[in-house]
Amino acid sequence: MTIKKPSGDTSHLYDGKTVRSAAPSRKKAAGQMGLGSEIPKDAIPEVEIPTFIESLLGGPLVPKMKFLPPDKMVQNLQIGVYGVLIALALLTFIVSPEEGSIWYMMTGSLGFAFIMQMIVIIAATVAGFWGTFQRDARFSIASNLLFILAILRFASSKVTLSNDVFGFSDSPTMLSILVVVYAVLLIMYFELSNGVIRYSMLDTSIRTNEVYVMNPKKIVGKYHRSLILNPILATIMAMIVLNANNILPFIVGIFSEDVAMRMEESVELISVYGVALGTLFVFLVVGGLFALNLPTHLQNYRENKAE
Amino acid sequence: MWSRKSAMLGSLAVSMYLLGLTLRNTQLVTIAVVIFVFLTWAALFGGHADVASTGRRADEWKGEEGAALGNVSAMRKLSSARIFEDGELDVTLRMQNHSSLAKILEVRDRVPEVMRIKKGSNYILMELGPRRETLIEYTVECPLRGFYSLGPVAVRIQDAFGLFHKEKELHVYNDFLVFPKMEDLSDTFVKSRVPKIFTGAVNIRQPGPGSEFYSLREYFEGDSFRAINWSAYARSGKLMVNERERDAVSDIIIIVDSRAVSETGPVSRNALVYSTRAAASLTKYFLGRRDSVGVITYGNEVVSVDRDTGKKQLYIILTKLSGAVAGGNIPLQVVVNRIMPHINKGSPIIFLSNLEDDPTIVNALRDFRARNFDVTVLSPSSLEFEFDAKRLDRTGYEVMKTERDVLISELRGLGVNIMDWEPDMLLSTALAGARGF
Repeated sequence: MTIKKPSGDTSHLYDGKTVRSAAPSRKKAAGQMGLGSEIPKDAIPEVEIPTFIESLLGGPLVPKMKFLPPDKMVQNLQIGVYGVLIALALLTFIVSPEEGSIWYMMTGSLGFAFIMQMIVIIAATVAGFWGTFQRDARFSIASNLLFILAILRFASSKVTLSNDVFGFSDSPTMLSILVVVYAVLLIMYFELSNGVIRYSMLDTSIRTNEVYVMNPKKIVGKYHRSLILNPILATIMAMIVLNANNILPFIVGIFSEDVAMRMEESVELISVYGVALGTLFVFLVVGGLFALNLPTHLQNYRENKAE
Repeated sequence: MWSRKSAMLGSLAVSMYLLGLTLRNTQLVTIAVVIFVFLTWAALFGGHADVASTGRRADEWKGEEGAALGNVSAMRKLSSARIFEDGELDVTLRMQNHSSLAKILEVRDRVPEVMRIKKGSNYILMELGPRRETLIEYTVECPLRGFYSLGPVAVRIQDAFGLFHKEKELHVYNDFLVFPKMEDLSDTFVKSRVPKIFTGAVNIRQPGPGSEFYSLREYFEGDSFRAINWSAYARSGKLMVNERERDAVSDIIIIVDSRAVSETGPVSRNALVYSTRAAASLTKYFLGRRDSVGVITYGNEVVSVDRDTGKKQLYIILTKLSGAVAGGNIPLQVVVNRIMPHINKGSPIIFLSNLEDDPTIVNALRDFRARNFDVTVLSPSSLEFEFDAKRLDRTGYEVMKTERDVLISELRGLGVNIMDWEPDMLLSTALAGARGF
């Protein structure tokens, strides 16, 4: 015999009838409800917590990262990223020959290492293009990581090139410039791809009236100035560090020409240890500046001077 | 303060530097140096503002302000300190830069969450020139009654690349009050068959200031000589004075249930919101008729506003209703026992409650009726609020609705004028239903 299970909906029992029952008890009735005890969705306030990637590349003023079509500023930044990306991809290929790559260290096969290195560089470029075009921070950060992976070297203190069409290998200065330009391009790529996301957020926020910008030209202008000033400064500083083997003998030469000559011919100073020496100097200066809380003192000085 | 972006770049630079030294690779060291130059430049010359590039909003201040923000101040002006629900408040924020250096700032004026920005913006990116000030104007819509506060003002300054930032909270606060929305009830009673909710004044049969003769009594020291009834004095040989019946003014007592259960339902649609709006509307109506109105709210404690007349009384009651917060579970019987000795017999009592979770309601209202009080109950139905918000399934709703109907019938049997006030029903309609107009 089959017993038909009654339906949970008993509302039809009350149609057109007056039902008498005991005094009301919401608690009791609530315990008998079939909906479960989960918290209603509209009872939970919306909390906007940025994901880790979002917070690395700029916070979520627009929480779901749904941008409106890019404005002129963002479009210009996107074009800038494309240009830097192409240059960076070419330079990465040139300055990271397969001999010192992680793939060569693992397999010992030049062919495999070359293929892997090419795949990584192409993947980084494609992800960068896609991330910038779609304004998707995930692809941009993936591209950044792939470029870092491509440049990781596990061999030789000297800079070697995979493709030396212009004969840079013959001139140590040109090699230094090439590496510095590469490093600056890499950082500029990080910043510009991040700028696309940040200014898309800002633009969307302006157009959705979440934020109001007074005199946007000045704010954007300052960003543009920084985009030009910072690479120039970085290039100059890096060149100073990388030319420690020339600068140090020059300074020493003021006091003793013999010692300067010996220093110039020293293998240690030409090698990475020379670079490290210069870098140590820079690090000490930078660390000292921070330890002395110089940014605050400098700001105080500027404020007081202006007074 | 370091952002996550700068921390990530810093870590990358240190890693590359160490790896470069370990592997004796110049390229890695060079990249590390370039990154460090970027970071140093940004830390030394930060003076830019950009929205949330650090991954945090400007209002999440954790307490590090730089010298650059020391000379920034703010003042705020509101168009009104008291408005009604759904009213608009114009806010003018004056930002001042006392320094001789121009600053690019990110400013966020904190607005209570329930408010909506109607016009303008409370979140601004601006360049503030040396010794300049600027006015930020915006309008907020205030949909819910209560005591509110605007502020503080969060100000942020950071470098162009969003690597380092400084933040400051300017502790500028402005308080304002949102009164419950009121419905005009005067037309309702004109249209109804009975001209007033309580026909004329209720005959309270008590001596007091008025024009109608009530009784004679002996003279006491302090009585006015004008009240002496000389004929009665001649007849009895004792000084007698005329007592008059209190004039045609009713004492209306409005009881508002603000227990925790009264807030069942969505924030903007629950029994407490409806009750306070009804209480405000009724107060305005009765005070306009020169009646004397007193209000009692109960939840955590019993809060009462003594009966009085006039416009001042309206604002006192509106202020109390604005501050009514759901909480506690004091039974109605406690309230009745406390107020019964202080209210005039026969006074109309209007009780606003969802009638839930209180087993003493029937007995308490029976006590009122036993002493011949004219009791009207308007009951906003929390069930309907919850059912509309899809928090109740059909079966649960039907069961509880039935129980509620039974309770309402029982109260009606006691002679209480009661109306099950459904969410979409106007107050005037609910009142008409309760009084049988």
